[in-house]
Amino acid sequence: MALEETPRGQVRRRLARRAVCLAALLQLTIAAQDLTLPNRPGSVKFAAIGDNGTGEFEQYDVARQMKIWHGKFPFEFVIMLGDNIYGGNGPADFVQKFERPYKPLLDAGVKFFASLGNHDDATADISYKPFNMGGQRYYSYARGNVRFFVLDSNALEPAQIAWIGGALKDAQEPWKICYFHHPLYSDGGRHGPSVDLRVVLEPIFVKYGVNVVYSGHDHVYERIKPQKGITYFVAGSGGQLRKGDLRRSTNTAAGLDQDQSFMLNEVVEDDLHFQVISRNGRTVDRGTIHRQPQ
Amino acid sequence: MTRLLRFADEHYLVVPIGAAVAIVWANTGAYSYFQISRALSFAVNDVGMAFAFAFLAQEVVEAMLPGGTLHPWTRAAVPIVAAVGGIVGAVALYVFYIRSGDETNLLAGWPIAAAVDIAFAYFIAASVFRRGAAVTFLLLLAIASDAIGLVIVSYRFPVLTVHPAAAALLIPALWGAAVLRKNAVHSVWPYVLVCGTLSWFAFYWTGVHPALSLLPIVPFLPHAARDLNPLADPARGRHKSAAHFEAVFRYPVQVIAFLFAFVNSGVSIRAFDDGTWAVLLAALIGRPLGIAIAAALAVSGGLELPRRVGGRELAVIALAASSSFTFGLFFATAVFPVGPLLNQTKMGAIATAAGALLAIGAARGLRVGRFAPDASHST
Repeated sequence: MALEETPRGQVRRRLARRAVCLAALLQLTIAAQDLTLPNRPGSVKFAAIGDNGTGEFEQYDVARQMKIWHGKFPFEFVIMLGDNIYGGNGPADFVQKFERPYKPLLDAGVKFFASLGNHDDATADISYKPFNMGGQRYYSYARGNVRFFVLDSNALEPAQIAWIGGALKDAQEPWKICYFHHPLYSDGGRHGPSVDLRVVLEPIFVKYGVNVVYSGHDHVYERIKPQKGITYFVAGSGGQLRKGDLRRSTNTAAGLDQDQSFMLNEVVEDDLHFQVISRNGRTVDRGTIHRQPQ
Repeated sequence: MTRLLRFADEHYLVVPIGAAVAIVWANTGAYSYFQISRALSFAVNDVGMAFAFAFLAQEVVEAMLPGGTLHPWTRAAVPIVAAVGGIVGAVALYVFYIRSGDETNLLAGWPIAAAVDIAFAYFIAASVFRRGAAVTFLLLLAIASDAIGLVIVSYRFPVLTVHPAAAALLIPALWGAAVLRKNAVHSVWPYVLVCGTLSWFAFYWTGVHPALSLLPIVPFLPHAARDLNPLADPARGRHKSAAHFEAVFRYPVQVIAFLFAFVNSGVSIRAFDDGTWAVLLAALIGRPLGIAIAAALAVSGGLELPRRVGGRELAVIALAASSSFTFGLFFATAVFPVGPLLNQTKMGAIATAAGALLAIGAARGLRVGRFAPDASHST
């Protein structure tokens, strides 16, 4: 004969079940907020944001998360994937859409290196000191064992194509990372891949051993499976978001189109570790890219 | 079948056919399309188009000879004024639209707004007016617009290194053409192969669009006066001579026109963006308004419209000049290198084909040309 449980016992049991659930949820949340990057001293640490310069509260939310994560993972600089300043390009716009949201990072000495998007005023952006473009539409810089190549994908004139070929050829660093606004691969529904640019750039990237390419333009996050040995990221939701716009294909390795996000990256010797954080602080993708031998 | 081929030949149907093939291919197998179009781009846009422009220029030059439609050239005054007005109207709207948004990189594309597709204009004019002064007026307007546009875009050819000294090659090119002319050489080949080649290198190395390189040679070619009808079969005189430029290049130019449309029209339908709207609005609204205002000012200033061309006809002519298609594509490729800015504006140039429908709709609504109640007596 089964014993009848008292009402007090039922309540106790229910409470205990809830406590277990809460503890599990808490553990999951903590895990989600955990840094999964090695965070080694002396490694190259950087963040990536794209299509961020809206001046809206979502951009400020992402910026706040960046600051929180900077406390755990002191990235030295941020690569900007274009559409840095939407709308007007006056001094007030640069304050509202860049200086104010990223003030804590700027104050902490974090540098920003911008590329030009279709909504950017090239003249205003390249001469804006905090974007560190040195007055150029396309440029290159090195950090540790990584050289970054920044392109203006709005218009790929012969001089720029010649420049990227020459700069990649001359680069001595083992890691070669390119970034620009328009993605060569993307499953974003609104824009999708810029195949005409891919036909021009991909053979150069393959020939000179580019390892990783970051772009924006489609307002989602997507990691593309390696194409001809190169990993492509679309990170165009640093402020903007086109909800539900990701049309996952066989090329999609991971993606997020339900919330804004930014990327944390760390290059340690032959590995590039990445962790993608959403606006609410959740880790939505993470992994490691091993550098292929040339 | 022969009639169909002749119709296709006279109306340059190879252009919309090439464009349609390109658009379908670019949206179904983008990578292979862009690989092929990129491989062909230089040969078609920078070399082949030199023959296409020379072909057109030859006909304009001949129309300006005594007995030609454009002789004396002052007859073209009102269409030229209207063309300038059309350009001003189109460019103003293009710039206004781009400035009202935040994609200011597209501002550099304002010369695209100057383009008028001559074949489209002729096709619409012939459909509505059949023949006569209105057709000539529209063709003159289109040619004047494109001539101005070509001058603007000629110096924006994106070349890696400019060698200004190469301009000196034009001296032997022109001198050679003059000598050939003086010795009454009737074959076009020495003009094209020797003088044309020198001129092409002079243009290319100095950073001027090489598609225009045969234009300085054209006035030296053997000529015969003709009606200004760039697309119809010339039926008399030297035009039939096997050595005449038109006889030699008539079918090669059709092939070039097809390849030009094929190489340049392939854009993703997702390229529809601000640049597309700017080109479209400039062509469909800005240019017709500019033409109408400029023609009205010219008439109030004492110039005369051709006989049987009144306000209603002018409205239809202005709308018939709104398609920029082929020339729009050419201007876009001259102004923007590969990239999204080029794609957006190319999409706009293709979309201006809608101007044909507007013009025919307006002709029907205004009862102009073949839609007039007394159409049998109309021009």
